[in-house]
Amino acid sequence: MSSLAVCGALLSTCLPFRAHAEDGQPPRAPILRTRLNSDIVSTDPGTRRDENTDGVLLHIVEGLVGSREDGSVGPMLASHWTISPDGRVYTFALRPEVLFHNGAPLTAAEVVWSFQRYLKPETRWRCLDVFGPHGIARVLSVKALDPHTVEVTLDRPAPMFLTTLARADCGATGILHPDSVRADGSWVAPIGTGPFQLGEWRHNQFVQLKRFARYAALPGPRDGNVGGKHALVDELRFLVIPDSSAARAALVRGSLDVIDNLYPSDLMGIRGRKDLLFQSVPVLDCYSLLMQIKDPELRDVRIRTAIALTLDAPALTKAITGGTGTANNSPIPAASPFYHPVEARLRAVDVARARRLLEAAGYDGRPIKLVTSRRDPQMFDIAVVIQAMAARAGIHVQIDTVDWPAHLARYTTGDYQLMVESFSPRLDPALSFGLFIGDKRQEPRKTWDTPRSRELLEEAMRTADPAMRQTVFDQLTLDFLNEVPAVVLFNSARLSVVRAAVTGHQNWMSGQVRLWGVGLR
Amino acid sequence: MLGYIFKRLLLALPTLLLVAVGVFLLIRLIPGDPALVLLGNDADAASLAGMRADLGLDRPLPVQFLTWVEHAVRGDLGRSIVSGEPVSTLILNHFAVTAVVVLVAVTLATLLAITAGLVAAWRQNSSLDLAVVGAATVVLALPSFWLGLVMLLLFGVKLGWLPFVGYVPFSESAAEAALFLVMPIATLTITESGVLTRMMRASSIDVLQLDYVTHARAKGLAESTVLTRHVFPNAFAPTLTLVGLTLGHLLGGVAVIETVFTLPGLGRLMVDSVLSRDYPVVQGCLLFTAVVYVVVNLVVDLCYPIFDPRVTAR
Repeated sequence: MSSLAVCGALLSTCLPFRAHAEDGQPPRAPILRTRLNSDIVSTDPGTRRDENTDGVLLHIVEGLVGSREDGSVGPMLASHWTISPDGRVYTFALRPEVLFHNGAPLTAAEVVWSFQRYLKPETRWRCLDVFGPHGIARVLSVKALDPHTVEVTLDRPAPMFLTTLARADCGATGILHPDSVRADGSWVAPIGTGPFQLGEWRHNQFVQLKRFARYAALPGPRDGNVGGKHALVDELRFLVIPDSSAARAALVRGSLDVIDNLYPSDLMGIRGRKDLLFQSVPVLDCYSLLMQIKDPELRDVRIRTAIALTLDAPALTKAITGGTGTANNSPIPAASPFYHPVEARLRAVDVARARRLLEAAGYDGRPIKLVTSRRDPQMFDIAVVIQAMAARAGIHVQIDTVDWPAHLARYTTGDYQLMVESFSPRLDPALSFGLFIGDKRQEPRKTWDTPRSRELLEEAMRTADPAMRQTVFDQLTLDFLNEVPAVVLFNSARLSVVRAAVTGHQNWMSGQVRLWGVGLR
Repeated sequence: MLGYIFKRLLLALPTLLLVAVGVFLLIRLIPGDPALVLLGNDADAASLAGMRADLGLDRPLPVQFLTWVEHAVRGDLGRSIVSGEPVSTLILNHFAVTAVVVLVAVTLATLLAITAGLVAAWRQNSSLDLAVVGAATVVLALPSFWLGLVMLLLFGVKLGWLPFVGYVPFSESAAEAALFLVMPIATLTITESGVLTRMMRASSIDVLQLDYVTHARAKGLAESTVLTRHVFPNAFAPTLTLVGLTLGHLLGGVAVIETVFTLPGLGRLMVDSVLSRDYPVVQGCLLFTAVVYVVVNLVVDLCYPIFDPRVTAR
């Protein structure tokens, strides 16, 4: 009798997993917990957003295309597409088996509706300006040719069109069901096609995503944001834990399964534990020292060059990242396929030359203010190291530490002399250069405003051939190093720690959280 | 009594108006733009302008202020810029967590302080007194975040007795919620008991030296009776003032403890709102905190006559 009872009890504990295994998939764990260092901003992809928001929402929504691990574009909701000979008309064939989270099938009508919504100014789509007068091309029309074919017509050829659609900060131009908004157009919740659907968002506490049982996965392994995306857990729970000590303690205790995006200093106290697995993957971000070229002091390229000559990027990188980052002076990240010998050149430290340049420029030791913040602890540390390195040439750098919203405001308005800034990963080098190049009258945040740089950037946007693009990027890199509108310092690595029971967790160079294909033993 | 309460509440109105003006202006003096925080660092100028218009931030400041005050008087504190939720709902939900932690912790700290302070004063200059004063001084010097982290490591990680992330509200599971609150309450109790103990001890020493205590002893009353019936009521008044101030201060949010233990309390709401420049939430939280201060101080003042009949509410 007692044996029977024990067997019964054991069987009952196995029931949830038995039920999950019935659909031919590997057994699923009920819940995978990960940490967000701050809450998401909204559930509306590509509009009210930040990196955390993008990462969470890409589990819910999918675009026609997506980014592969190598940065190229791959099919997602579109099975394939054709481009007209003049490069202006894109025709997408939709996958017929795809369902929205509300059970409705994906058709061209929803794609047209989603594009039209994104292109309305009141949606505040992050990438609307890319399709504006100063962007890569204007979208002239989006038409449904039949229930499973969509045609997008641009006003001019734009080889960056698909790359832009796939961008995480554009919300991957996720295709939504119209029931995601109310009749008046106000936002309700995302009804997408991804492997997970939104469960509950409890502000500043957690975001709960539930497995979408009828998800139509692409064949093959996962590949960046495309490929086979399988939900291996019933529920994903993103817990908002601002304090990294509490997050590490929760991981050790088993209250968390995954911590993504740690800073090297966060590894203290948990490094070397046998029950945790550590992962470091180079990403396409960049930490830079921005220079205000309109500033009376820094307008002089000799002073900008002198500052740059004092900065020992490898030493700074080692000090700040604990050896996990890669020193790099080019806007093209070291993990990019476009990172070639020209980009790999590091500026040699030359304090004597820096002093000569300062003397020639008439620099008399006046303080130069360096704005930084502590949102990312590395940004403050970088400022301290820069201050010490610049002092070797007699440059008097004063650090002005502000909170993140103030930092953001001063960056946007160009209200600084020097500023430490970190840029999230950009999968295409043209986008990386686009962080610096632009018309300062319209976008004061841009630091590099010369006709030649703008011309070269436009050429990179217009060109599809990789070899030709490489030539343009090489030239831009050389000009960037000579004109010193900013100093790129390093590219970081995405550090993750997962519990040993976690399977399939693998970061990639986009640096965004990705938990499809991740399970628990 | 009712007249006194009415008069006090009436007197609080100018204070609250000053708080409202101060809070409204100060949060706007801090550099930063909510629209920018919402849209991110690559937002184009047109989107930013549109978002500012959506949020009503493009209107003149006096218009924004008057609109806010007009709504606040009607009990509508607006909606959060970030989440879109009504500010009053956000405040009440978060305050519920803070209130439980603070009220329980301050009650426990007060009970601890009364006992320890009275006993230490009764045995002044003994080793027991030295131990109490020493412990109170150490506790006073302990930063709450440090103590919180130590408790978290000890009881959360090493011993695994108590949970510390993923707070469950009482409405979902009272037992789980209570477990989550053990460590924050214990941390706050310990950190707040130091100053209360010292205050209680000091005022008890003063009272113990008064003639009527000597008289009570001369009558042959037991020491426990002398302490509880004659010393405690008179010695507690200064501590009660401190309890009131502590309560008012803590009910406004214990941001550090709430952050360490990932509790969705009022302090964390306020810090998060300041960092995202969520103007309506910051304004609402601070106004609410001011009201709490006023109410707590009023309640404390009304409690004085219970302990000291010489004090009357007029």
